[in-house]
Amino acid sequence: MSEADAIRLAQAGDAAAFEFLYRLHGRRVYALCLRMVGNPSDAEDLMQEAFLQLFRKIGTFRGESAFSTWLHRMTVNVVLMRLRKKTLPVASLEETTEPDEETGGPRKDIGAPDLLLTGAVDRVNLERSIEKLPPGYRTVFVLHDVQGYEHNEIADIMGCSVGNSKSQLHKARTRLRDLLQEEVREQARNERQIAKTQTGQAD
Amino acid sequence: MQCRELDVFFEQEGLAPLSAAARQHLSECYACKHFFDDVTGIVALAHQLPAEVDPPEHIWISIRTELIREGTILGFSSERESAPWWHSFAELFRSRTWATAAVAMVIIVVAFMLGSKPREESLQVQEDPYSSTVTALSQQEHDLANMQLASTGEASAVDASLRQNLQQVNEFIADCERRVREVPFDELAREYLTNAYQQKAQLLSAMMDRGGSLN
Repeated sequence: MSEADAIRLAQAGDAAAFEFLYRLHGRRVYALCLRMVGNPSDAEDLMQEAFLQLFRKIGTFRGESAFSTWLHRMTVNVVLMRLRKKTLPVASLEETTEPDEETGGPRKDIGAPDLLLTGAVDRVNLERSIEKLPPGYRTVFVLHDVQGYEHNEIADIMGCSVGNSKSQLHKARTRLRDLLQEEVREQARNERQIAKTQTGQAD
Repeated sequence: MQCRELDVFFEQEGLAPLSAAARQHLSECYACKHFFDDVTGIVALAHQLPAEVDPPEHIWISIRTELIREGTILGFSSERESAPWWHSFAELFRSRTWATAAVAMVIIVVAFMLGSKPREESLQVQEDPYSSTVTALSQQEHDLANMQLASTGEASAVDASLRQNLQQVNEFIADCERRVREVPFDELAREYLTNAYQQKAQLLSAMMDRGGSLN
């Protein structure tokens, strides 16, 4: 069965077609939910909600955009809606951390000396730092750098311009670098503390 | 090219391909070179993160149950009415996860039931080979009920679906038990009963795991 056949059959209420579409896209949608909310229990709720919404509205799908884009748009909306409910004040897609032209914000680091991250961070550090990103940045970063979507697809999913998607991605990466640097510094501090304690105990 | 211009370049064009001016600036500016190396490393690491993760099987079961209930999936109830009594249950075991777990359980129970003695003798000696399973599951269900009583939060859609599935499995277990009592050597009924116990154990375990989210 092709995806197009499955969509047509699902529009007619065919159980096997729904399952086919779920199996085809479920793993990607679950990965997105998991990375966006950071815990499996919430991710399961969100995934279920997204698929239920999708299947209820499948009769209205006319194929103007790719089915996966439509599904991801629905998923992102469900996730952001949940995150907005959970975290007050509301986090906008246009992040509250827009770089300040005066102080430079995240951009000021571009010309400043800093830690060399290469080799100092691993996937666990990265996963943890992704969770700390504001929702809008996190969405674009996960969609582009983890799931491999192009800016035009992300713009379609998030209902923004391609330029906006590019800008959000750049800010997300810059912020992620700051967060990782913080984490590396924290790790170094902890290691020094442990070494100090051990030296004290040896004396 | 200045640092600020390079930043704008990264924003609009990404990290690759670099223009000649960008490359020139990077070769001269230590800080920008570090920024570029760091971000390139972060992106490379992000590409290694799994873009797909297997969701737990019970999500699909919940979605499907809900779609059938609300009539989005059509023709299911008439099929179910005309199908043999075990067909709806067999559907639940179509997935690999359930099937694998169920097969493992069947092997254990069959090995237990067969033992070294002839089957009939074995059944006479051990009138109810499921008694310990039933006791363990009842205890687990009782613990779960206590957990839910202690919880003050609203149950989510997944929790509601899990409860609905548990109710369905309990009803099916009752049917199977009745059948096994009436026809003790009905192998198929015994197999379905074993599978049902296994599924109940998994559902209870999933519900216990989600206990924290209820609060």
